[in-house]
Amino acid sequence: MKLDDKPGWGLATVSVAIIAFLQVPVLVVVLAAFSKTAYLTIPPKGLTLHWFEVVLTDSDYLGAAWTSLWLAVSATAGSTVLGLAAAYALHRRMVRGAEFLTSVVMAPLVLPSVVLGVALLQYYTLTGLRGFTVGLWLAHVVITVPYVVRACLTALASVDPSLEDAAHVLGADGRTAFRLVTLPLIKPGLVAGGLFGFITSLDNVPVTVFLLSASQNTLPVKIFTSVEQGVDPSIAAVSTLLIAVTGVALVLAERWTGFHKYV
Amino acid sequence: MEPNTPRRAGLMLVSPLMLVLLLVFIAPVLMMLPLSLREYVAGTGISDRWTLVNYTQILTDDYYREVVVRTLQLGFGVTLICLLLGYPLAYYMARTTPRIRFALTMLVIFPMLLNLVVRSFGWIALLANRGLVNNLLIDLGLLERPIKLMFNLTGLLLGMSHIFLPFMVLMLVPTIQAIPRDVQAAAYTLSASRPRVFWSVTLPLSAPGILAGSILVFVLTISALVTPRMLGGPTYKVMATLIYDDFLQTLDWPSGAALSFTLTAMTLVIIGLSSRLAKRWGGQS
Repeated sequence: MKLDDKPGWGLATVSVAIIAFLQVPVLVVVLAAFSKTAYLTIPPKGLTLHWFEVVLTDSDYLGAAWTSLWLAVSATAGSTVLGLAAAYALHRRMVRGAEFLTSVVMAPLVLPSVVLGVALLQYYTLTGLRGFTVGLWLAHVVITVPYVVRACLTALASVDPSLEDAAHVLGADGRTAFRLVTLPLIKPGLVAGGLFGFITSLDNVPVTVFLLSASQNTLPVKIFTSVEQGVDPSIAAVSTLLIAVTGVALVLAERWTGFHKYV
Repeated sequence: MEPNTPRRAGLMLVSPLMLVLLLVFIAPVLMMLPLSLREYVAGTGISDRWTLVNYTQILTDDYYREVVVRTLQLGFGVTLICLLLGYPLAYYMARTTPRIRFALTMLVIFPMLLNLVVRSFGWIALLANRGLVNNLLIDLGLLERPIKLMFNLTGLLLGMSHIFLPFMVLMLVPTIQAIPRDVQAAAYTLSASRPRVFWSVTLPLSAPGILAGSILVFVLTISALVTPRMLGGPTYKVMATLIYDDFLQTLDWPSGAALSFTLTAMTLVIIGLSSRLAKRWGGQS
């Protein structure tokens, strides 16, 4: 009779198979990017870097990558500033109805993204903001800010409030106490939340696709719309570059912040 | 700080974000409500007359009904597959050594962080007529000509189960970890068989995690736009892709707005029901 419940080999094998299933599409994309044929075969018929050359010299792809990048950076910066300020006040119950306000901040996670996308399309059309970059930026602040606030609230919950009180006793004003005591303690959570927001912005299609001006494109929207015209190995190459960037970001984030605790 | 300032400081900290949410989240959604009640005339566009037809047609029109039923089928199917694949993996992760658990957690999170369009594109490369799966089956002599794996339920079930499996696993692992091993050990001491322990002890105790994971996966599946569009194409539609087409292709905005509210109401009802259920279970234990 077995008293302990250590998983057996059967379960281990099944788990490895499921983990492999999770990685398969990723491997397929990477293989397709190096493949000489337009369609993928196993084993690949010849290896080439041609598709990477196509992507890295294509002004459409480069423009889209640039738009994606600055949009994600600026939206994350905005939501980090707004989100940190709000999270601090909500955590400390400095405003009435903090619980209700927290659920308002989290609401964009519950609403289907496509619904927010079309709502903003109509709203920007009515207000004349349609096609303006500031509208796109504001939309990305809204979709990234829940992650920042959630990570900040998690981090703030683990900070002993008496530490800041101690700083007050020692003569620090509110701002100084926050900057010197609380901020360093919640920094990992703040960085993790910001990174998750950054990835969310970089990934977003269902809101962005409705709000881009005719001359704008982000990388995921470009891939999303170009697939309808047929599958091209350059899509695999640009996807592979994105996979590499994500992998490096995940390793760095884990090293700096223990990222997986905040997901 | 003076004694009376915390409340004012709090308002100053919260109000910038609340203003953004009011103007760019709450107002746009509310302003879509009147749009959903406008009459749409093919050819001329949105008229000034009020009507409920955009809502009633979702129930009465065969085409709309088909799309709604398909969306729900997809939701249930994907949730079931994620549960069947996710539970054994989550169980293993919960009971293995911390080092293996950490490595596996990273491998579960990695595809989740990867761009959604990239993962969906991976499935296109696998499932297309001249994709990897069909080529492999033909090369092995198992197939004469390619079978249709995309633009149908099979493709969407496969692709979306893959996309949402990590969410299920990450919801299940902590719940299973929280099951005290003593309880299982006690059942074994009472000479219960392994399957018996699983059905009568382990599974019921992980019910809260199963519920939370299932609700999350179901809601994400019925709201998803990108994967259904990329793997379903412009013809095999679900609610989200129909909304997309209403706003960008046919320009029947009132109908798209009504569908948007219907989809939102569906997700809210499901989340509301599940939290009541979770509370009742919480009260019992």
